[in-house]
Amino acid sequence: MGEVLLKADNIDKHFGITHALDHVSLTFGKGEIHALIGENGSGKSTLTSCLTGIYQKDSGTFTLEGKEITAKNQVEANHQGVAIVVQEMGTLSGLTVAENIFLGNENDFISHGIKNTSAMNKKAQEYLNSYGFNYIDATRSIDDYNFEERKLIEIVKSTYFNPKVLVVDETTTALGQKGREELFKVMHKMRDEGNCVIFISHDLEEVIEQADNISVLRDGVMIGSISKAEATTDKLKQMMVGREIGENYYRTDYGEKISDEVVISVKNVTVKGQIEDLSLELHKGEILGIGGLSECGMHEVGKAIFGASYFREGSVTLGDGTPINSIPDAIKHSMAYASKDRDNESLVINDTIGENICLPSLEDLKKNGILRSKNMKAFAEKYAAQMSTKMTGVDQFVSALSGGNKQKVVLARWIGKDSDLIILDSPTRGIDVKVKADIYAMMNDMRKNGKSIIMISEEIMELLGMADRILIMKDGKINGEFFRSESLKDTDLINNMI
Amino acid sequence: MKKLKQSQYYGILLLLLMLVAFWAVFKILAPATFGSPDKLMTYMKSALIYAVGGCGLYFICSMGPFDMSVGANIVLSSIIACNMSERFGYLGLVIAPVIVGTIIGFINGMVYIKLHISSLIVTVALSLIYEALSVYATNGKNVILSTDYRAFGDYPANLILALVAYLLCAFILKYTKVGTYTYAIGSNEVVAKNMGVNVAKYKVVAFTLAGMFFGLQSILTISFGTSMTSATNLSSMSRNFTPLMGTFFGLAFKKYGHPVIAIVVGEMIIQLMFNGFVALGAPTTIQNVVTGAALLLIVTLTTKPTKGAVVK
Repeated sequence: MGEVLLKADNIDKHFGITHALDHVSLTFGKGEIHALIGENGSGKSTLTSCLTGIYQKDSGTFTLEGKEITAKNQVEANHQGVAIVVQEMGTLSGLTVAENIFLGNENDFISHGIKNTSAMNKKAQEYLNSYGFNYIDATRSIDDYNFEERKLIEIVKSTYFNPKVLVVDETTTALGQKGREELFKVMHKMRDEGNCVIFISHDLEEVIEQADNISVLRDGVMIGSISKAEATTDKLKQMMVGREIGENYYRTDYGEKISDEVVISVKNVTVKGQIEDLSLELHKGEILGIGGLSECGMHEVGKAIFGASYFREGSVTLGDGTPINSIPDAIKHSMAYASKDRDNESLVINDTIGENICLPSLEDLKKNGILRSKNMKAFAEKYAAQMSTKMTGVDQFVSALSGGNKQKVVLARWIGKDSDLIILDSPTRGIDVKVKADIYAMMNDMRKNGKSIIMISEEIMELLGMADRILIMKDGKINGEFFRSESLKDTDLINNMI
Repeated sequence: MKKLKQSQYYGILLLLLMLVAFWAVFKILAPATFGSPDKLMTYMKSALIYAVGGCGLYFICSMGPFDMSVGANIVLSSIIACNMSERFGYLGLVIAPVIVGTIIGFINGMVYIKLHISSLIVTVALSLIYEALSVYATNGKNVILSTDYRAFGDYPANLILALVAYLLCAFILKYTKVGTYTYAIGSNEVVAKNMGVNVAKYKVVAFTLAGMFFGLQSILTISFGTSMTSATNLSSMSRNFTPLMGTFFGLAFKKYGHPVIAIVVGEMIIQLMFNGFVALGAPTTIQNVVTGAALLLIVTLTTKPTKGAVVK
């Protein structure tokens, strides 16, 4: 690496109990494309968001050309010489192309409070033309352009003022071949002018092709950096996944036969933009793992099966052919679902642990048509204790619990309901090792008792450790099926994800 | 056809066709009592008053919040206008309501951003206070605008004042930062904030600007109606909806680039509907049915709620 341009020193960031960045230090050189890679939740986007003012870091410093920089928002970061093209839509509907390009910088075109729209349009068109995007009209509404064109406009917006550092955050997945080439052209130009591009991508081949240096993050910790010459996809994958310690809390059995009895059958299910023509079967006593990158559509699969997706096409039926088309259908037929978004979709946060556990079982708890608080309390206490939930009592509010104990409340609820088919989306997300072990033990017990589980997970080791069968999804479709085996490796799964 | 659809004039054409269609339908049903040229001039007189308020509400509704204190603002501003005209003549009639309206808008905006609660609740609660002030200002009696100062109640002064208001609204939307930020905040508040837009400040600006337009509407309202009674128990609320419907026309036709024209033509269409039903001999309470139904219809058609979204 040549001369240092940007230095990240001990950057630390928490989101609630999640330690998203653990004192990350890293240097970026002048005239380089520096890739940042890592699994979902490894902290790549959090790091660049702290740099560009989208998030505020807890501690640590960024130093650009020897001067410390802190930004409260993207425009401030721009003025300090740092720009970003974000993963999601970064342009605003209802504004023209020119207004989007200069949003936050209108003052350049305002005199005596009046905006010189034609000067702004002219300047915007000049920039668009200089990038070769002549076919984009600066005066038109941004809504007249498709996602890819809007990304190109965003690239112009992020780079027309010649920033010293440009962050490209998983932008390539949104672009087609032509869009990618345009983006790479801009990246190369920036490098050749002695600036630095921080390139975040899941496509490892693309990373090796484009980047000069590659740094790997895992669980918010900086793992290491290697140069383009040293990098192979296998080596990068190994760095990304690492060696899992304490694997012994997973299942240890191998080769048990799965029952032939199908308990749920999903046929040709499509949810527009998320899942495409997906079919699968779940057997009695089976743990079916579904894995992939976070945007592959797997989280929607749980909802679709539970009847919680809007605009679902295709059919979901029980083994006996009973259709499941809505959440009440699903619950009536002994199905349960724990969402990835625990706080918003699974728990009534401003209510007690007891109320949360009893919620789906109220019908069963009624005696002569009346709900008695004594019965409800006993019921909640029984299942909260069974999950060894850490609490002062079932009257405690759920909002006061840690992520792991919240998840225990969700699980206690469905165990109390005695559900036969349980869909768990990211069951151990943001949960510490001890609670993880409890949850895995519970899943193993349920399996042995003939309950069936669909476990959707972004954690590869969890899939390998717990599932009887693993389906890997990519772009809304199933892209590989693996059976439980000691010889099954993490890299086998990753190859089908990326 | 496709080229026509992309043209910025397509929206205006569509609106004018609607206008003619509504006129034609009622004209056929009630040929004797509806829609002669002089009657149309009378309908338009009301429409242009409400469209001024519609322009003001457009700043607020484009960003997402609502203002339910439009009616209370107009009642109070009209009363002050009337009182001040007795002291300062036309100067008092024009300046006083604009100042009062603007202050009310500013208060609405500040309370809304400081308390972090729904704009509906904030403006309904404040309406009660503004209404109480209107009672104090009149001692509970009717105020009547002197015959010396009624020029804004008829053509051409009313039209000129209204045109000034429309042009001002269009100018702010197109040629100032406020216009750009209004749309930016409405499109995605978080992204706008990330781009350095001071969201809270521009929300207050939107409420304040809206208040100024309600002040302008008050000049026309008191001049046209010539008297105003103080309001209590949220009786001013009924004055909210006619401007609001125009605003929703503006939002619906925004993509064609001329929201202000859409607001004005939208108000004309609504007046045709009101007067059409009256011409058909329907009781005047039918106006409330029409207002209620039209409001629900227009809002549903323009907001396109996402399925499964939590609506409160």
